[in-house]
Amino acid sequence: MEFVLNNLFFLLVYPGGLFCVAMGILLSGADRILVARMQRRVGPPLLQNWYDVLKCCGKETIIPRHARRGVYLFAPVAGFAALVTIPLFLPVVNGRPAFSGNSDLVVVLYLLTLVSVCGMVGASASGSPFAGVGLSREMVAMISYELPFVLVILAVSLKTVILSEAGVPLTFSLTEIWNYQAANGPLICHWSLIPAALAMLFVIPCEVGMHPFDVAEAETEICEGMLSEYSGKPLAVYKLTHMVKLYVMTALFYVLFLGGMSTGIAAADGAILAVVCLLLTFLTMSLPHAVCARFRVEQVFKFYWTWVSGLALVSLVLVFFGL
Amino acid sequence: MEQFWNEFPILSVITLFLGAFLTSLVGRASEKAGRVVSGIAVTAPLAMMLCLIRPVMLQGQIITYWLGGWEPVEGWAIGICLEVDALSLFFALIVTVAVFVSCFYAFTYMNHDDALSNYYTLFLMLSGSVLGLVLSGDLFNVFVMIEIMTFTAVALTAFRTTYEGALEGAFKYLAVGSLGSTCVLVGIAMTYSQLHTLNLAQIAALVPAFRGNTVLHMAFAFLFVGFGTKAFLFPFHPLAADAHAVAPASISLMISGVLTKCGVYGIIRLIYVLFQNANVVTVSYLVTGFGAVSMFVCVTMAFNQHNFKRLLAFHSISQVGYVITVAGLSSALGLGAGLYHAMNHTIFKGLLFLTAGAVQHQTGSLDLDRLGGLSRRMPKTTALFLIGAASISGLPPFNGFASKWMIYQATFTAGLIHHNLFYLAVCVCALITSVLTLASFIKVTQSVFFGQLPAEYAGVEEVPLSMRAPMWVLAALCLLTGIFPAQIQRFLLTPAVSAVANIPAYVDAAMGEGYAAAHGVPGAEVSALPVGGAWSPLSWLALLFSVTCAVAIVAILGSARDEAHEYISQTQDGAAGAKYDSFFSGEEAVYSQVGGSDLFWGFKHNWKRYFAVMQRWHSGIVNDYTLYGVAAIAFVLLVCTLAL
Repeated sequence: MEFVLNNLFFLLVYPGGLFCVAMGILLSGADRILVARMQRRVGPPLLQNWYDVLKCCGKETIIPRHARRGVYLFAPVAGFAALVTIPLFLPVVNGRPAFSGNSDLVVVLYLLTLVSVCGMVGASASGSPFAGVGLSREMVAMISYELPFVLVILAVSLKTVILSEAGVPLTFSLTEIWNYQAANGPLICHWSLIPAALAMLFVIPCEVGMHPFDVAEAETEICEGMLSEYSGKPLAVYKLTHMVKLYVMTALFYVLFLGGMSTGIAAADGAILAVVCLLLTFLTMSLPHAVCARFRVEQVFKFYWTWVSGLALVSLVLVFFGL
Repeated sequence: MEQFWNEFPILSVITLFLGAFLTSLVGRASEKAGRVVSGIAVTAPLAMMLCLIRPVMLQGQIITYWLGGWEPVEGWAIGICLEVDALSLFFALIVTVAVFVSCFYAFTYMNHDDALSNYYTLFLMLSGSVLGLVLSGDLFNVFVMIEIMTFTAVALTAFRTTYEGALEGAFKYLAVGSLGSTCVLVGIAMTYSQLHTLNLAQIAALVPAFRGNTVLHMAFAFLFVGFGTKAFLFPFHPLAADAHAVAPASISLMISGVLTKCGVYGIIRLIYVLFQNANVVTVSYLVTGFGAVSMFVCVTMAFNQHNFKRLLAFHSISQVGYVITVAGLSSALGLGAGLYHAMNHTIFKGLLFLTAGAVQHQTGSLDLDRLGGLSRRMPKTTALFLIGAASISGLPPFNGFASKWMIYQATFTAGLIHHNLFYLAVCVCALITSVLTLASFIKVTQSVFFGQLPAEYAGVEEVPLSMRAPMWVLAALCLLTGIFPAQIQRFLLTPAVSAVANIPAYVDAAMGEGYAAAHGVPGAEVSALPVGGAWSPLSWLALLFSVTCAVAIVAILGSARDEAHEYISQTQDGAAGAKYDSFFSGEEAVYSQVGGSDLFWGFKHNWKRYFAVMQRWHSGIVNDYTLYGVAAIAFVLLVCTLAL
């Protein structure tokens, strides 16, 4: 019974379910306020995004004539489910993921991919030409950040990998990454991984689809692209997905580069995590949002495959030579 | 130890060839009789191979069958032999399942064509030769089977002679395929000149005594290129695209799912068992390099395709590239990952080709720029396609994810253990190829199944159940092999990898106890593959399922109150429904489907120089392709003779 209750708590309250949704809402609200302050505006209330979601839930759901109804409605929900599964794999609670003793970075990578794919399939199923252009851009953005992301993952794995008793390396294990940091200090303090951390900071806004990199949802160019046909509850789910992604990506950075620290009290750990996520949100999302205009899609691609990948590659090579 | 299953290998091959001759006799009189005969001829081998799983895979037996009882005399194998170890059986299972599905799909799929008895005859010949190849115990029969395989495949490629480009594709396949067969023959002749035997087991036993023999190195090079041609590896990949695109879909499944696997089987048998070259660094680089280049070049080539099946064909080679890449790593994990992916590739690529066939059967077109919105008319085919696309893109929980995960781990581990940057680069390449694969399939999803439905396809019907059932079989396999990787490893992969590592057992089974020990054949026992510790699919599948259920229930309950409205561009009295028409300024919505080749502009724009070079290379001229083949032979020969 205790086991079931424990797991239900993990699944629904912390670190999954409620906690990540609440964090998503707070972070995205904070982001809007921060951007507004930098632009000398007052900005919306902290919970404005949550009010938007609630408002969407009350609106009627329109299904376009060209849409494939089932896929159109189910895709946002599937994407959201895949996304809220990720926090359960992140070892934020005392260095252990909520489920199973171990968790895998490649699984996290592919679950993030699955979230984007659900968005694209849903957009595709809406039958709108704007959505068609939007998903094309989203895919290119995804190819763009995937290369530096993969290089960062390899660099971190290479730094922290250990051999098991059988002489087989435990590759891509988030738990090992956490344990390594608990023993040797957070990875961001290792100078060879600083370029990788910088690259990862650039990956976050593009993965989330925040302003300078939001080519797929450019309101003024392609009428919100992938979301142009969505309304009502599916749109609410999409908005929620977007917010939770903010939390998931910043928490992933925390686990990869700032992990290993634990006060022993779950609530204190949660508070530290929240503060770190907020700082990262300011650094990677609000600041570029306030400073930069939107990139064009081919600029995004070029930027990520040259500068950001270059940074990550430097780390990978440094780590490879044992530095 | 005489068991009834000792006859199964020869019986299964005979059944297929006998079926081929029978269909040509009875099929002319009655088409139905031809179908019954071919149905029986493909079911029996499948049943026999399934029966062999227990003795071969689980009990580790190796079945040898000497034709006419011509067993080896005084340590020399003269007779023709079939030798089935776990590796052979693994590929035989892939072959028989694919043949079974393809045959039943073709019953309905080919109903627009005539001269069907010829089709079934050629199809069964092809199946028999492929099965014979993977079960064969001597090198010359491998060559004979390759020849039968190539020529029947060429004939089947051109089966729809009225189809545009069919004869051209078949001719290219014939020309370059013959080059590959010739390479195999030259390699066999060179091997025979040194070792004076053609029996696979005896070759494996004698090779260690001939270390450093240049002629054998050249033989290895020729055999490698020959089998590489059959797997359509780079630089033979343009051929596959030309042949796949014009062949009937059931034959595309055979070419991509089965024929390429023969090349893979040949290469694995060659480098691990026959020449035991797997630990040689040069060979490892060579094989992994060819695999990685195939993997990457073909996935980028797929970006520019306008034809559904051509796109699938390039992906086919890209996936085979994955298999060859990890097969070259010479680690148990790598080989296991390669075999797993080879199996998965047959399943999901077979499924994708069959859905392409379904689209072609119903609409008559495969043009990604003209199709669109078919999900409204063919929802079940769309669901099947999405399962296949998710599998090939490596999305969890389908089988592509499980095998690709092993591939990443194998390449990463190789880079770590050998402290080698090359293998790490291959790992990055594999990860990037995966996301590019995903992009291609998003393109197909958008431009064939979703988006707007063109007026000319408004009356398209769903394919009949007789075509959907074979596809559902493959779709179910996609899911099953993805959710139960531990079981696949235990029952299929570990026995196959152990069989490859344990060369003395393979030699002794054919040549008699103690033969391997007398010739000093090295071998090792592989107890179990290292199952990746960091991943347990069932645990998070349950998780994902529960979360999906929860969210879905919430969504359904929430939307029960108000029903969803259809988009209306005009109200009933003819006035524009202004509420929904903001994007069209009140005008009538026009047909504005985003075509397949208009997608991913941002990517193509940045790579335009690369694509320009690629376009020049893939000229479509058979002379050029043959030249690439010759260049590949020269390169591999040079590497093998100089560096080994």
